[in-house]
Amino acid sequence: MKRTIITIGRQFGSGGRVIGRRLADELGIAYYDKELLAEAARESGLSGEFFEKADEKPSTGGLAYAFSAGLPNMGFYAPYPDILSNEHLFLFQSNAIRSIADRGGSCLLVGRCADYVLRDDPGLLSLFIHNNSENRIRNIIERQQVTKEEAMELMKKTDRSRASYYKYYTDKEWGMSSSYHFSIDASFLGIDGTVGLIREMIDRRRSLP
Amino acid sequence: MNTQKSPLVLGTEPVGKLLKQYALPAIVAMTASSLYNIVDSIFIGHGVGMLAIAGITLTFPLMNLAAAFGSLVGVGASTVISVKLGQKDYRNANRVLGNVLVLNIILGISFSVLCFPFLDPVLYFFGASEHTLPYARDFMHIILAGNAITHMYLGLNAIIRSGGNPRTAMYITLLSVLINCALAPVFIFGFHWGIRGAAWATVIAQAVSLALQIVYLMNPEQVISLRKSIFRLKSELVKDILSIGLSPFLMNICSCLVVILITRGLKQWDGDIAVSAYGILNRILFLFIMVVMGLNQGMQPIAGYNYGARRFGRVVAVTRATIFWAVGVTTFGAFICQLAPRFIVGWFTPDAELIEVCVYGIRIVFSVFPLVGFQMVATNFFLSTGKPKTAIFLSLARQLIFLVPCLMVLPTFLHTTGVWLSLPIADTISAVLTSVMFMQAINSFKKKTFYS
Repeated sequence: MKRTIITIGRQFGSGGRVIGRRLADELGIAYYDKELLAEAARESGLSGEFFEKADEKPSTGGLAYAFSAGLPNMGFYAPYPDILSNEHLFLFQSNAIRSIADRGGSCLLVGRCADYVLRDDPGLLSLFIHNNSENRIRNIIERQQVTKEEAMELMKKTDRSRASYYKYYTDKEWGMSSSYHFSIDASFLGIDGTVGLIREMIDRRRSLP
Repeated sequence: MNTQKSPLVLGTEPVGKLLKQYALPAIVAMTASSLYNIVDSIFIGHGVGMLAIAGITLTFPLMNLAAAFGSLVGVGASTVISVKLGQKDYRNANRVLGNVLVLNIILGISFSVLCFPFLDPVLYFFGASEHTLPYARDFMHIILAGNAITHMYLGLNAIIRSGGNPRTAMYITLLSVLINCALAPVFIFGFHWGIRGAAWATVIAQAVSLALQIVYLMNPEQVISLRKSIFRLKSELVKDILSIGLSPFLMNICSCLVVILITRGLKQWDGDIAVSAYGILNRILFLFIMVVMGLNQGMQPIAGYNYGARRFGRVVAVTRATIFWAVGVTTFGAFICQLAPRFIVGWFTPDAELIEVCVYGIRIVFSVFPLVGFQMVATNFFLSTGKPKTAIFLSLARQLIFLVPCLMVLPTFLHTTGVWLSLPIADTISAVLTSVMFMQAINSFKKKTFYS
């Protein structure tokens, strides 16, 4: 069997994670969502809570460099990177993603710009899962135990933050079809149907000479 | 220099050894530029005269402002380029280089164009007199003419350093310091160019360094190099760079405002000679402040990593070691300035009256200087342990929140003495405030260590 690395970008509440989970189970391959954070924490020696806090958030900005001296005539800036900045945590996380890919087996990664980090990997299949608003809001209410208004608010906020996160690190548009191999509306075939469709894609790809 | 390769070392090696390894290069870089300013002032003080020192002092706020614009682009550029390089995204890393160069040219030229027509009124506002204005103006004309060069030089240095060649960046910085120190005496004493000589030396030193940087970056073998198609400004890139640089920019603006209050106050009560005295005092003060800043920069990755790794005992240990060295440095400074102030000020000027005015100021300003070392490191502790807002507040407390009201009120009663006194008073109040917050934070750290 050829090695396949599936990455799934997903709208909040789209069912992308459920699809990923089931796909990994059916294919019998490793699945990484939050597990990525633990990998990054283990490799860097930092506590996982920092990766949780920075998870899929855009830049922290330059607050930490506020004391970089700008002496007249010379001007130099803080010579060492701020290790706990979102940028630096993202680097640790990307290294963890690469080392997972380097282990050689097939695997499935959810979010964290994994499609971008592994963009040169020949076995990459990058997917984006979206869904209609009704389904998404229903999923969010169910999963987060919130009211409809809160769910809508949460949906908008998370979309915005994921989009700017993705754009900051990858220079591509989040959720735009040309950023991925395939972009799928999960409402069209439902969860099971979508899983089947993706499996079919993988089989076809593997049967290519 | 690269913390990303083997971060685990930061969590295991002895903190004293790590601090030495990280702080020494930072201290060298910081003091090099501070020494450069000191040497410049010494040449001007001896070669041009007392009024010229006042003239240079009046340009501090404008020079700070220019540096603020430099940090606006430089900090963001460093961050973004290291993100791109970390992902081996060389196309965009090169775009950062091109965009930064274009941004620096635009900012550098606009700053000059906006400053030129208003230079006289602005300098008068800062506290110039008809005697000191010509010096300040002559100096600024040349500096403003070369401002785009300065900006490009600073921007490229930030890029070369973050692009994985911190050593090259450091050599280029040192080179520009050396060229300036060699040219300034030739221009001032040899060619009798006066204060213009100092400005020319600065601009030429930076132009030579810029040329070297460009030659270095022209080499297509380099990971980051100058090539066509990287210069078109990309709006997202520009937005990322500028939004990261915003807070350092604002901090630099604040320090610029305080200098204006000081020079205006001194001019009002004691005239040009007090402004000259502040110029000398400021150079001496900054030499010590820069050493502490270097210590702080070295402490940051060590404290930051160990905080992230939940090794609180090591965070406390490295903070304690840094405070020890920083207070040592500022105490040493305070002693020298109390015991032999005439000796030090004598380097800058032969003028007996100016020496007396300056010595009087130095005695007051350096009276609580040991506290400053503690205050700066304790502030840095908050910065390194994920509380940048607390750190910024405490830093502003010393440099702005307590200082500005003192500078507004005290001189009305105490005149020049009031201006000098404002500094140690603000230092003391902010040190007390900082130590209360610091002790609380350290205690909670110790508890966490106990339970973990």
